[in-house]
Amino acid sequence: MLKYILRRLLGMIPMLLLISIVVFSLAMFMPGDPLSGEIDPTNTDPEYIEEMRERLGYNNPVHVQYWDWITNFLQGEFGKSTQYKVQVSELIQSRMLNTLFLGITSIIITYIFAFIMGMTAGRRPYTKLDHLIGAFNYFGLAVPNYIAGVVIIYFFSFKLGWIPFSGSHEIGLEPGTLEYWISRFHHVLAPALVLGALSTASYTQFLRNDIIESSRKDFVRTARAKGTSESKIYNSHILRNSVIPLITFLGFDIVTIVNGALITEAIFTYPGIGTLFLGSVQNRDYAVLMTLTMFFSLLVLLGNLVADILYGIVDPRIRLD
Amino acid sequence: MKKSYWLVAMMLVLALFLAACGGDDSEEQSEEEGTEEDSSEEESTEEESEETEEESEEAAGDGPVQGGTLVYAIDSEPSGPLDINFYGSATEAEINQFVQEGFIEYDEEFNPIPHLAEWETEDEQVFNFKIQEGVKWHNGDELTVHDWVFALETLAHPDYTGPRWSNVQTVEGAVDFRNGDADEISGLNVISDYEIEITFDQPRVNNLINLWTYPMNQSHFEGIEVAEMEESPQAQTEIVGTGPFVMVNSSAGEYYELEKNPDYWQGEPNLDGLTVRVVANTSVIGALENEEIDMVPLHPTQGEEAGTLENVEVITYPGVSFYYVGFKLGVFDNDAKEIVEEKDKYANKQLRQALWHAIDREEWIDAFFGGYGKVLNAPIPTSHWIAADNSELNQYEYDPEKAKELLEEAGYVDVNDDGFVEDPDGNEFVVNFSHYDTGNPTFETRAQAIVQYWQDVGVNAELTMVEVSNYYDMIDNDDPAIEAYFAGWSVGADPDPTALWGSDQLWNQPRWNNEESDQLMADALDVDIVGGDDDKRLELYTEWQQLFNEEAPGLIITELEQVYAVNNRVGGLEYDVTGFNNAMNWYVTDGADK
Repeated sequence: MLKYILRRLLGMIPMLLLISIVVFSLAMFMPGDPLSGEIDPTNTDPEYIEEMRERLGYNNPVHVQYWDWITNFLQGEFGKSTQYKVQVSELIQSRMLNTLFLGITSIIITYIFAFIMGMTAGRRPYTKLDHLIGAFNYFGLAVPNYIAGVVIIYFFSFKLGWIPFSGSHEIGLEPGTLEYWISRFHHVLAPALVLGALSTASYTQFLRNDIIESSRKDFVRTARAKGTSESKIYNSHILRNSVIPLITFLGFDIVTIVNGALITEAIFTYPGIGTLFLGSVQNRDYAVLMTLTMFFSLLVLLGNLVADILYGIVDPRIRLD
Repeated sequence: MKKSYWLVAMMLVLALFLAACGGDDSEEQSEEEGTEEDSSEEESTEEESEETEEESEEAAGDGPVQGGTLVYAIDSEPSGPLDINFYGSATEAEINQFVQEGFIEYDEEFNPIPHLAEWETEDEQVFNFKIQEGVKWHNGDELTVHDWVFALETLAHPDYTGPRWSNVQTVEGAVDFRNGDADEISGLNVISDYEIEITFDQPRVNNLINLWTYPMNQSHFEGIEVAEMEESPQAQTEIVGTGPFVMVNSSAGEYYELEKNPDYWQGEPNLDGLTVRVVANTSVIGALENEEIDMVPLHPTQGEEAGTLENVEVITYPGVSFYYVGFKLGVFDNDAKEIVEEKDKYANKQLRQALWHAIDREEWIDAFFGGYGKVLNAPIPTSHWIAADNSELNQYEYDPEKAKELLEEAGYVDVNDDGFVEDPDGNEFVVNFSHYDTGNPTFETRAQAIVQYWQDVGVNAELTMVEVSNYYDMIDNDDPAIEAYFAGWSVGADPDPTALWGSDQLWNQPRWNNEESDQLMADALDVDIVGGDDDKRLELYTEWQQLFNEEAPGLIITELEQVYAVNNRVGGLEYDVTGFNNAMNWYVTDGADK
């Protein structure tokens, strides 16, 4: 196992290098640079723009720019955001807590919904309830986050006044107090619901299908023959088996937790990694953009690895070596 | 493994796509607004303004209410340093306007007026400033001219990367200081803590308004190298100023909490606090309706919807930005700073005039800017003191017949009966019109509308949408793909149009090469010709605008208005082209209850 993990980790190095080239090229292929776009003549002048381009190295040949970036990057210097004018690491740090909070809440919501709906549907397949759950799931898959977000804000914030429509906490609360954390939870609920409840579809359907399949297996028949109660059969015998495929998702969930939600965060004015990433794309903030993309890639690779390892642990038939 | 590789690629592409969607959301409504309800909009605004008048009279009886907190919303997140000496975009200015202030301000015609300082000059080269005594910074320091010197030397420091160097450049000795040849700027002569003499490298009529007139607190930045200042928390969010409100707390990208400055030198502000809150564009109307926010700058297309809210008044004041359709008349060499080649496709003046007459600008503004714009005929916003009176300019009314006449006079006639005119040599003539593309669907519609106007008078035109971040570079570099283009400028207090229309300027985007124009602009700045006489300058600038209006190197379409939605509980607001009055006068009518 250890050998396998090491081998995979080593394999990531060339992969990440390749990714860095792709990320860099894509960033460079984007038209314009942070200094182009609409210019306010009262605020700047052509010489300044030229000077800044020179200073930031945008006039250098592409391979020089790549080399400068990657060597700094490997030394942990992610550069300075052209938009925020602060170190990228600092910027990401300041947003990370919000995003983690949102991500974890949404994953918990996803799990809760998926387990409840998946188990209900799997236990009573092809009934009206199952179809209802199925319909809800596909509805959730079909509705884009940005529509759901706006609709939820409209009804639950503006019409009913249950939830705040923006921000990560109530203005003026002292960080660290109980009130502050309650407020944070209150604020994260709506975006987490949009992210979580509407993306439970795949989990639910996986769980449902697996439960249906397992319920036809011999060990279930044996259990029934022995007179084990239906609820015990489903809740312990079948569920334990059916959770295994879901565990592979866990690796990807790590990525979901961290990369934030581009649009949802923007709609709820929730200051996290997602809004940061979106802004960096719009403003060609290369340092932020490339660091975040590299970071996400690394997480995807690690998530994959975690999924593979977990798979081996929960199902000893799968040999990793 | 291969999957993850693709994921990355997809993510970037997706992000781009989504970024475009994000743009859409914000401005979805504009299309519907176009035609239906313009008149009712006007009425409702009138009604509402009457209401406020009553209200303010009422309030005037009791005097402004003390206390309470006002929530001022902005729809995009400020990024970068908030400090006025380092900020980069208008969003940051929305916050620092309450905290920091300058030595001079501008009246409603953009004439400089004394604020923290008074000045005297005899020759437009040496200025003597006397600043208010006893003004305290928020951190307790007293404001002195050394804070100003500190600001100017920071801006002139070689490590300073903000965009303000050009505002110090003209001070005598600043260039030497920047190059490291001098330890201080020789043009800054501190006479006492409250008096300074600033000498410029040469007399100019716009020396004062070009100068950087904001102080910078020395102890606040103590021990920080200039190169690190912009990323320091002191410049990022924990800004200090001398203004009516003090920054107390902020959560980046979410809100900025300001408290009144009880020792404000002009008197204690009415409000206890002012919160600047970032609200997504999609939530602005709902938040207004639910009284979550009190004041917000609106996109023109949102004005109508906000106007239907009972608790909200929509107010407008003239803006300083304008849109125009330019024609590439030449090619500019940025190294030699001159126009090196003339292009003749649009060289015919009558052709350009005809295209101007062909556009129904009123209808276009109503359709795409909710009516929040005014037809403009020269590139100077009408509220500026140098703006020529409309009676002195050709109005270029919407007149298709006139347009056709002009085309015929210029030799553009339809010789092959395809419904569109050919050029004087009988070749097919198509106006290639470009507009920037941000993903906002109304941009293509509004550009297409212009193309349609031209086609209606028999000039064939084609539209190309160009990705916005490339667009202005292509225009500046005279990319042959750009022939006729849509663009906008906003202008500041300095009336001098040279930077945008002089023949030796990169930003003279049409490459308008006109000796008379250059001469007029130079004369208006020449101390020997105009001295300190504003009437003489106005005369010259009027002449220049008439020339522009006649030559039509660009078809000026509209000047935009600033649109704000304000909750009825807000009082004490006054506004003109330079923006709102000092926030110290603002109040909320229920302030005492809270």
